[in-house]
Amino acid sequence: MRNALRNFLLYGDHLAILLYLGLLVTGNIMIRSATFGTKYAPLASRQMIWTGLAVGLFFLAVLIPYEIWLEYSYFIYIASIASLLAVLVIGHAVAGSRSWLYIGPLGFQPSEFAKVAAALASAAYIKGLPDKNVGVREMLVLAAIIGLPAALTFLQPDFGTATTFLPLGAAAFYFSKMPLTRILKWMGAGTVLLLVLFAIGWFTFFKPYQKERVLTFLNPSLDPRGAGYQVNQARIAVGSGELTGEGLYSGTQNRLNFLPAPHTDFIFGVVAEETGFLGSVAVLLAFFGLLSRFVVTIRDARDAEGRFLVLAALAVILYHVIINVGMVIGLLPTTGIPLPFLSYGGSFLMSMSLFVGLAVNVRTRRFAQ
Amino acid sequence: MKASSDRHLGPKLQFLIFALWTVFLVFTVRLFYLQILQGGYYHTLSENNYTRSVVLRSPRGKLLDRNGKIVCRNRISFSLVYDTDRGVSIGDTLAAIKRILGVTMTRAQVEEALHRSAVPHVAVLARDVPVSWLQKVEAHQIELKGLHMEMELRRNYPYGDLASHAIGYVGLLSPDEAKDMRLKDVDPFIEVGKTGVEKTANRLLMGTSGRRISQVNSLGREVDDPRLRLPGVGVVREPVPGRNIQLTIDMTLQTILEKAFGNETGSAIFMNPNTGQILAWVSLPNFDPNVISNTMTPAQWHKIADDPRHPLLDRPIQGAYPPGSTFKPFVALVGLEEGAINEKTTFFCPGYWKFGGHVFHCWKRGGHGAVNILTAIQNSCNVFFYHVGDLVGIDALAKWGRIFGLGQKTGVDLPGELSGILPSPEWKKSRGLGPWYPGETLPIAIGQGYLTVTPLQLLSFYATLATGGRRYQPLLIDRPPRLLSSVDISPRDLDIVKEGLWQVVNKAGTGTACRIPGLDVCAKTGTAQVVKASAGVNTYDLKKDERDHAWFAGFAPRKDPSVVFVVMVEHGGHGGNICAPIAKAGLEYLFYGKLPEGMTPEGKPKKEGGAESIPPQLQAGFSSGPGQSAPDDTRERKP
Repeated sequence: MRNALRNFLLYGDHLAILLYLGLLVTGNIMIRSATFGTKYAPLASRQMIWTGLAVGLFFLAVLIPYEIWLEYSYFIYIASIASLLAVLVIGHAVAGSRSWLYIGPLGFQPSEFAKVAAALASAAYIKGLPDKNVGVREMLVLAAIIGLPAALTFLQPDFGTATTFLPLGAAAFYFSKMPLTRILKWMGAGTVLLLVLFAIGWFTFFKPYQKERVLTFLNPSLDPRGAGYQVNQARIAVGSGELTGEGLYSGTQNRLNFLPAPHTDFIFGVVAEETGFLGSVAVLLAFFGLLSRFVVTIRDARDAEGRFLVLAALAVILYHVIINVGMVIGLLPTTGIPLPFLSYGGSFLMSMSLFVGLAVNVRTRRFAQ
Repeated sequence: MKASSDRHLGPKLQFLIFALWTVFLVFTVRLFYLQILQGGYYHTLSENNYTRSVVLRSPRGKLLDRNGKIVCRNRISFSLVYDTDRGVSIGDTLAAIKRILGVTMTRAQVEEALHRSAVPHVAVLARDVPVSWLQKVEAHQIELKGLHMEMELRRNYPYGDLASHAIGYVGLLSPDEAKDMRLKDVDPFIEVGKTGVEKTANRLLMGTSGRRISQVNSLGREVDDPRLRLPGVGVVREPVPGRNIQLTIDMTLQTILEKAFGNETGSAIFMNPNTGQILAWVSLPNFDPNVISNTMTPAQWHKIADDPRHPLLDRPIQGAYPPGSTFKPFVALVGLEEGAINEKTTFFCPGYWKFGGHVFHCWKRGGHGAVNILTAIQNSCNVFFYHVGDLVGIDALAKWGRIFGLGQKTGVDLPGELSGILPSPEWKKSRGLGPWYPGETLPIAIGQGYLTVTPLQLLSFYATLATGGRRYQPLLIDRPPRLLSSVDISPRDLDIVKEGLWQVVNKAGTGTACRIPGLDVCAKTGTAQVVKASAGVNTYDLKKDERDHAWFAGFAPRKDPSVVFVVMVEHGGHGGNICAPIAKAGLEYLFYGKLPEGMTPEGKPKKEGGAESIPPQLQAGFSSGPGQSAPDDTRERKP
């Protein structure tokens, strides 16, 4: 353990940690502003407790050598699958989907931890491969490891969270021995396939509210008071921030409840309204700076499983950032995907912190032993 | 690269970095577009989101009678309001109203209400709705987002239809009125007087409305938590309440007179000649301003507007009638002042006078024999006044008429006053009726022919007689008297005419029905022909609407008169029969405090009509006052 601490202090990714902690602080301030004077006000203090726990988990993820994490990964994976199954049976329903599991007064979302578990299990699987090379056969195994918790999440039903397993699959694909050009071709083909699936889904299993969201994303003025309302109000919140913002606690869109779900899905709208263009770009810089550090870590990592682990973390966080920020600034349709480190939510904050912790862990131990 | 098997990762990581910062760039450009390029636009949108400009209505002033009795006050009422600015369509709103309030309304009704509103995007759908709607609308605010309830103060007239023409009624401010009055802070609930003192004193009664910028949340609910208060929110201008107005009317006298009329049509005015203060203003049939101002349905409106007896007509100033014999004292005065006659002048009345080939009748077939000015007034001899008219001529009559204010508005504080017709050769010529014939002067001399006066004009003449020449502006609102003119009349001539008028009542004259022991009443009866052929025919043999108009005008007491009055009953027959007792009832109250049988000293006001008495139909909310966009309601035309 002393060795681990020494390693961390000497070789840990200090910039990444700084950016991570900066985002956590920003998130807490923004949640306080978003809930101030509303019935959600106590959530701001609760988020501080979550943050404390998350930072604790983060250091756990950093200090315990990742080979030990990988050693226990199958156990962790099985436990998370079990909790996902439990959720389907005894889960607590919120807004129509059973995604919460309660242990005493503490509720958590197993699907969030399942992402980390799936990433760890996949890395462990890669570690066990003779040449640590991912081919077609290995891809199928990885798809199964990742697909099982995704499918269970989908059954809750929580379509939005289920899609957050996609970046893990994408990471595995990107990690395979396939050259970049072919991957890009496959990605092109995959996009076409997605569009086809989307078209099929449109006429089969998409719920009316989901269709409406897509339609009003394409044209918010179709229904300015209904589904287009959120899109419009979010856009007003972002735009009215102008260069320097209205000031913390002073965003009218946020404070007067025009901005939907300001402390969760639309927290970036609060950032944009209250801190303006400068604040929003600063937050984006922190995110992309952190993710760039991950790329550097992948380059410098000492083994394949470490590389995959960081790539998985990068993919999951990037996915959340793109989908969430894209939604708030009106580039993507409305979905229920939160913004890492900023949106309110304990389980989500902890799973994202675990990912960052594991990435820093890999960097800390980048030198061959 | 530590392991050869991972060599392929090199370009992938480069691509990854490239992809990451491409996404960053796209997001930043988008933020730049929204926040920097479009920032001002979105900033305005956000401001419009959370502020509402609220008009602070000023409560309308009360109306009191001369003794401080409340004639008009305010009561609390609730209205259902639809605001198109909240983005809910008419169709959705109608469906929600039907579902939640259980009331059916049509699109045409909503559009009509929008059209009529002084604020283009706000429609008052129903007024005086049950209080229970308040909870329903609040509870279903999400579904009824386009609707809200508004509390307003509405008029209540505790005396009902008493003195309704003097008091008037109110209606919602129309878009045109808002423009004409140059009102600053207008909302659809502002009521303005449409007739009566409500209209004349409207600006004083209204006060000035104020404005407040209120801060609302996304539900349109007001934010009153001071911690959430934003700059620029609050009262911009405080409202100034309307002033209470004291009327000069005595509601007890008013009650006595209106009762005395029974079912007759007509008018009566009592006034203090020394100040111009009007004590009673009777115009019958009347109307209930509570109905017209508040809950009138189109059907009710048509009932009033199409009534053949025209209850909305303010007869004392909007009825122009031939004054008949009540005009004779004027002719007598002109004759004396012009020196054409004196108190000794005598004419012989055989019952008619042949003039220019025509025969002009006296009302008494057998004639009055030799008459002087006193007996002529006392017995209302036509022939005597034919002679006087012929002697002074039309020009002198017209000249003195103008001096006494005939043919002109009196300037009373009421809207819509007529000026009547004071005929003269110039008047006839200007009307394209040809030259004046001397024979046309004779009917004028007995108050017939082209001559018409409003009851108030006649009152004003008698008031000038009473004061010995001082002519005051008639007032319904308690304010300092205003002398219009001083007519120079010789006291001697005045005494002769007054003596004649005294004899009408107190000797064997035509007005003995108004004799009051101890009070020297001076008055003149009048019976004005309505149908030409009725001359010489007993008026009571005619159909009711062809019968003569009955007049009775005078003042009391003879020395220093303090009350002047005119009573006029349409198609009432002889003024001495029908009008004199009405005037007597009024004078007995004024001078001796005597009340008619069955009347308690407190003229008891009618009960207040509260929100409970409102019919449940939503239609009742549409009060289409006549001053508003006319009762041509589209609903009426539909089968």
